[in-house]
Amino acid sequence: MLPTEEQRAQPDAPARIFKDDTRFALGRIAVFQYAAVTIFFVLITGFWVLQIRDRQSNNELAERNRVKTVPLLAPRGKILDRDGRVIVDNQPTFTVRLTRENLRMEHIPAIAAGLNLDPDDLRARVIRIQHQPKYVPMTLKQGLTPGELAFVESHRDPETFPELELIQSQGRLYPRDGFAAHVIGYVGEVSEQELNSADFAKYSQGDIVGKFGLERQYNDILTGVDGQRRVVVDSLGVERQRLENTDPVPGHALQLTIDLDLQAVAELAMEGKRGAIVALDPRNGEVLAMVSRPAFDPNLFATRIRNDDWKALTGDPQNPLMNRAIQAQFAPGSTFKPIETVAALDTGTIDENFTVVCNKGATFYGHFYHCDERHGALNLHQAIVHSCDTYFYTVGNKLGIDAIAEYADMAGLGKRTGIDLPGEASGLMPSPKWKLQTQHEKWYAGETISVAIGQGAVQVTPIQLATAIGGIAEGGVWYKPHLVRTDTQPEPLRRATWGASAIAASVNGMCGVVNEGGTGSSARINGIEVCGKTGTAQKVSLDLAKSGKVGRDLAKENGWFVGFAPKDNPEIVVVALWEASGHGYASAPIVRDVIKAYFDKKARLAMPKPQQIALFLRPQ
Amino acid sequence: MEFLLNRYRNLTVLLLAVVAQLVLLAYQVKSNGEVRLIRVWAVTAVTPLARVIETARSATSHFFSDYFVLLDVREENQRMQNELDRIEMENQYLRTQLDTAERAKALQIFQASSPSKTLAAHVIGNGTGSGAKVVIVDRGSVSGVQKGMAVIEPYGIVGKVVDVYPTAAFVLLITDPTFAAGVISNKNRVRGTLKGQGHSTVIVDYVENEQKLDPGEWFYTSGDDRIFPKGLPVGEAAVVRPGKTHKEIFVTPSGFQNGLEEVLIVMDGVHGNIPEAPANDQRDQPVHLLAPPPAEPSEISAAPAGASGATGMPAMPTGATRTGPASDADRIVEEYRRIGEAEKHVYGERGTGAPDYNAPAGITRTDPKPADAKPKDPAKQNP
Repeated sequence: MLPTEEQRAQPDAPARIFKDDTRFALGRIAVFQYAAVTIFFVLITGFWVLQIRDRQSNNELAERNRVKTVPLLAPRGKILDRDGRVIVDNQPTFTVRLTRENLRMEHIPAIAAGLNLDPDDLRARVIRIQHQPKYVPMTLKQGLTPGELAFVESHRDPETFPELELIQSQGRLYPRDGFAAHVIGYVGEVSEQELNSADFAKYSQGDIVGKFGLERQYNDILTGVDGQRRVVVDSLGVERQRLENTDPVPGHALQLTIDLDLQAVAELAMEGKRGAIVALDPRNGEVLAMVSRPAFDPNLFATRIRNDDWKALTGDPQNPLMNRAIQAQFAPGSTFKPIETVAALDTGTIDENFTVVCNKGATFYGHFYHCDERHGALNLHQAIVHSCDTYFYTVGNKLGIDAIAEYADMAGLGKRTGIDLPGEASGLMPSPKWKLQTQHEKWYAGETISVAIGQGAVQVTPIQLATAIGGIAEGGVWYKPHLVRTDTQPEPLRRATWGASAIAASVNGMCGVVNEGGTGSSARINGIEVCGKTGTAQKVSLDLAKSGKVGRDLAKENGWFVGFAPKDNPEIVVVALWEASGHGYASAPIVRDVIKAYFDKKARLAMPKPQQIALFLRPQ
Repeated sequence: MEFLLNRYRNLTVLLLAVVAQLVLLAYQVKSNGEVRLIRVWAVTAVTPLARVIETARSATSHFFSDYFVLLDVREENQRMQNELDRIEMENQYLRTQLDTAERAKALQIFQASSPSKTLAAHVIGNGTGSGAKVVIVDRGSVSGVQKGMAVIEPYGIVGKVVDVYPTAAFVLLITDPTFAAGVISNKNRVRGTLKGQGHSTVIVDYVENEQKLDPGEWFYTSGDDRIFPKGLPVGEAAVVRPGKTHKEIFVTPSGFQNGLEEVLIVMDGVHGNIPEAPANDQRDQPVHLLAPPPAEPSEISAAPAGASGATGMPAMPTGATRTGPASDADRIVEEYRRIGEAEKHVYGERGTGAPDYNAPAGITRTDPKPADAKPKDPAKQNP
């Protein structure tokens, strides 16, 4: 084939074209290579600038626009006395929380050490709430001390413990030295168990709820509604912008029936003793004072209680967490006699002139029952004044257990009063029916003899005894004891149809106890007609107490005194239980001091206030 | 070799360029200079030529003027001027050396006298964060430095270690806004939390308005933060005034007032005492925590161990210690206690009968106001 014209003009074209193509390709590769190198350099430089040179600045920029929700915890309502004086207040406090989103478990020992927490306990708490969403923070500790505050502030930087979050809240400020501790109670962090119950369904982990006493009983009233503030914070946690604000709604204040004057005197009167005091207004059931000793310091609970403190409280054999005023169940001893008196007279079993000769005891059903003294011949009034057991053995034997139980039941013994405090004990008023049901045994007549003087299986709480005697003093009308004031006069709980003369005889007897040289003489107050009854109650049988097989504490009798004043239209009834005091008369001065405080205050408030007189300056 | 270089010329050039870039950038970062390297290179390249031209111009100019006008005088003047410059520079150098020696000596004396085990370190650079007050020291994990360790100097605290590398560590200064430490004043023993502000003054926060604190009072480390041993000087309260919720206290830090070149890292802190007298003459790593400090004597007396009085209650924790009556309840109990003492009456005891609660003079009663006595329904009670 001949070459074309064009091919003739370029004889070596194929080879040159091939050679030019190779050069062209090599040139392009070189361009790509340099471009790749340039791009690589740019990338490396960028990486260096972003990740190494400006690392800190970029970190700050990245974190700068972070929206955070700051909780605004609502303060609980204050607790006031009947006159509006503050018993429980709030104080600004700091709470540290654990934001679990950035929690590192290896930080826990150091955090626990800095906050004086048990690391194992803290780890267990963290594990317990693992099933909850990570954004739900965990309250680590409330009411931080200045030292703990310094620890948190100095370690919550992003480099150390970023999981620590500090928030300001209102902590509870309880009175010192366990003042009214059992009445007020305490608050604490809602437990897992509580969260699973219907009562606490609306709460979340870390919320503070009432745990004991009135704090628990009126938790819903006292609890406020938390608010929240949504803010934009920078990397240092400093607020840069506020987005929205929902203000917290404080809890409602709770005004109690407690009178701080009486409560203070009652607290001072029980210092160093073990027992309880209950002061009531028998006209409406208002509790004027309630003391239980030994007590605990609720401020320990205002922050999260330390394990050591909790162990000390729960391991204390004197059981300081027990509210003896509503939970201590002891035999009432001779304070039971006024009720038996009413029963005996109202049923017509005896009259006021019924006389018994006391020879330091008497024999019933083949067993000799002791009396403290050889009283000789006494009528009913004298028997109450001198608290003769022989007399009431005899009366009880004539009355029978059913009648005794019926009147005691009407007075409110053996059942809860219904006071607005959690955990009230019911006490026990034995009867043949009760014994058959619980012990599947028949009632023995000899048991009635013991019950007749408030021994045997009879068990009452101080609040029951105060309510019972207060109702008798009021003429057979009982009101439900309560601790929170209301505007309205409450309806009576029960109204007995007992004869007025029977009640009057019982009341007269009690006035004789205090004012006629009886066992309660030390409760006497000049100018005030105080009535009352002592009670010396064994905790174990006399034989066992004498055998030395039980400790001194158990062998020594509890001393009761229940008193009210004035005799007519009584305004106050006070019960004092002094455990292991040996005799009821030891408790009479306690009641006296409280009743005196009531009437002195009444007189003080009735006195006209001195007028302020304005004087002009003397002319120069 | 030549063959290899030719064959892999592009790769070699690339690697050399990358290495050179990295080295130069590293050099720039380490030198922390404000002038960019390109400018340095440009200046370096231009300077010799400029110097030659300037020398020639100067020589010609000087030749004519010196030779024809004031040849001897000018030469002498120039020589003396040069001598003076040299002596001034030498003087400056010696002064700097003396300062350094004095600081080193002070550091050495402090290090020897301090009960805490410390490690001397030099400050070799500054952090780059905006507003952050961070310095880099030449001691790191190889020397046993740990995150969270305190950094001090003889006249006051400096900061704490926040990042540790083998041969260096980052120290957050007390002036940094994220810095905090527990402090206590030397006179009134007021506890608070020291916080940085981002500038030379620091504040002490969380001091109640009711607490007494005098301006001029010195703050020392309290040891509560578990970073600084107790008893190290922090600074003097320059301004003390009541604030919205807490006192506003501004403190002038006593540390690094005269620059910061050498510091001490507290390797093993030992808590000391707070001096009574004003200290006017003074200026994914484990977190290091010190042991808690011993309690102040006042705290021990306020919170006795064991039961509180006759109540048989466990002692209150140190933090919950309260000195004064808190509520009306506390005040009323105290009133009745004083009445009992005035009447020589022991409550609940037989004695001489009930006291007259209205008789004692000189005792202010916390009686309810008439308006307070009005009963309220809990349902209607206002918060």
